[in-house]
Amino acid sequence: MEEQKSNQLQMIALVVLRMMIGWHFLYEGVAKLMKPNWSAAGYLMQSRGIFSGIFRWMADTPSVLSVVSQLNMWGLTAIGLGLILGCFTRAASYAGIALLVVFYLCNPLFVGYYYSIPMEGNYLIVNKNLVEMAALFVIAVTYSSRYVGVDRILYKLFQK
Amino acid sequence: MSDEKNDLPEETTSKKTGKKVDRRDFLQTLTAIPVLGLFGYALQKEIRYNKAQKATKTGAKVPPSGLSDLNIALIGAGAQGEVLMNAMLKIPNIRFRAVCDIWTEYSLKKAVGLLNKYDFDVNGYEDYRELLDKEKDLDAVIIATPDFWHAQHAVDCLEAGLNVYCEKEMSNTLEKAKSIVLAARKTGKLLQIGHQRRSHPRYIHCYEKILKEAKMIGRIVTVNGQWNRSPQPELGWPKRYTISDAKLKQYGFKSMAQFRNWRWYKGLGGGPIVDLGSHQIDIYNWFLEARPKAVIASGGTDYYPKATHEWYDTAMVIFEYETEGGPARAYYQTQTTNGSQGYYENFMGDQGTLVISESAAGHSGSIFRQPQAPDWDEWVRKGYVSAPEIQLLKPETEAVLDVRETISPDEHKVPIEFNDPYHKPHLENFFNAIRGTEELNCPAEVGYETAVTVLKVNEAIEAGERLYFNPGEFEI
Repeated sequence: MEEQKSNQLQMIALVVLRMMIGWHFLYEGVAKLMKPNWSAAGYLMQSRGIFSGIFRWMADTPSVLSVVSQLNMWGLTAIGLGLILGCFTRAASYAGIALLVVFYLCNPLFVGYYYSIPMEGNYLIVNKNLVEMAALFVIAVTYSSRYVGVDRILYKLFQK
Repeated sequence: MSDEKNDLPEETTSKKTGKKVDRRDFLQTLTAIPVLGLFGYALQKEIRYNKAQKATKTGAKVPPSGLSDLNIALIGAGAQGEVLMNAMLKIPNIRFRAVCDIWTEYSLKKAVGLLNKYDFDVNGYEDYRELLDKEKDLDAVIIATPDFWHAQHAVDCLEAGLNVYCEKEMSNTLEKAKSIVLAARKTGKLLQIGHQRRSHPRYIHCYEKILKEAKMIGRIVTVNGQWNRSPQPELGWPKRYTISDAKLKQYGFKSMAQFRNWRWYKGLGGGPIVDLGSHQIDIYNWFLEARPKAVIASGGTDYYPKATHEWYDTAMVIFEYETEGGPARAYYQTQTTNGSQGYYENFMGDQGTLVISESAAGHSGSIFRQPQAPDWDEWVRKGYVSAPEIQLLKPETEAVLDVRETISPDEHKVPIEFNDPYHKPHLENFFNAIRGTEELNCPAEVGYETAVTVLKVNEAIEAGERLYFNPGEFEI
């Protein structure tokens, strides 16, 4: 009994965590979609660190930039929906992690880097992107969507 | 409790396969829907809020329709005349009929040429009296001649039955400025003085909403402002267009160099404190809703040669006011040797600070809330100011806030975007006043008040002591 109860609470906690991350992704995507002419250029331009060359090249190359911007906006939106609905949750989680890795590599928070788009709070190497990434890893390797989520049905229908 | 087991995902319970999808599965799948619903609701609220904010920002001004055409003439087609002309070319229903300038071979030709390009069939005149004689269907005249000519031009135009937009300063002497006010009263014609900030949407917003209605910055105790300008060479001219000495003399100039640089000469202009300071000191009087009681000033020709710069290239001034809320002191400086930090007016109240400038480039309207002041959320929601921007401590700083320091206040922006020529709204206000749809924003009396305030600065510098204003001085 005790174990069951704690299992259930764990599931609820994971569902809540998943939906909050989903909400955040969804709004990040929708907010960009709603801004006419939103572009990733500003973010990419201030890239620091070893990959900054690639990111700046993306910002400087209009065709690449528009693809990157579109991928980012729709990617964030789709991942957000997936996480909230619990639909293809594992794929959505790993995709989210991939996006966050790219964001972090673009603007790594190493000592001595200063960004012109200001960040709130104080960070040393670990920022909220990394925390969100770790949280998504938890979502990816657990099965909250089979507790609450579309995956529950998908799983039942398609499992062998 | 027994069916709770079914709730848990397969992995954590059993390895059964091929289970049927039941009602509970659907319910638990659909639990996500209310979350999406909530998201949609919040999003829609935000979209509405943003839309409303945007609407107040742009003022949602209805484009005018069915305006009557106005016939106008420009007297004085020099640098300032050109600025006004370019602004007027962006105003609909204005028909240019005539231009007058004594520099017939250069300024006049240039202005007529430009207006011809815009399909205005204009006549050019050297003498404004000839213009007044021959142009019979004018509604208004725009005067942008040197300050010492303003009175004669404005009075004659008013008496010829025309409405007049006259550049500031009203005149270089109060006597002559007074004659303009009297002529406007006598003829009943409209007279607008060119303190164009009086019609600037950002200034009007600050005065009406931020200061008057919301009283956001509280009681203003100190004001400071400046116009810092980089060194400028004397204005020259293409030698082949030199005006003859006889003609220059006829129009009150000693030489071509003086004609080009009249602003620096006593008896013709008023120097930088009048050319630049006048606009901003006018805002002091307007926003403080008071006239100064006294003025202390220091100034001189510190940098340029005195022979060609009779008026002071540097002036530092303190006005003393008695406002409705109590005493206020207002500092103003104009200097012409270093343009750093440009020009702005800074009103400091016990609840906040308002920094504003006509310039679109710098200081286009910031307002800082004092940490102890009541919150401004209501005014942010109403769109009077933008949401606050977080004041970040520089990461390099090692300074620790000590007890003498107060926390830096939040910065808000004045959310008025304005991308038109600076003079356009003021000219439009004048034209609409002629049509009877608006009141003048800077009528004769207001322009006169400012002239009294500003011309006293030069007197105070000369006197080297504090000068007092007699309250009757501002009245005619």
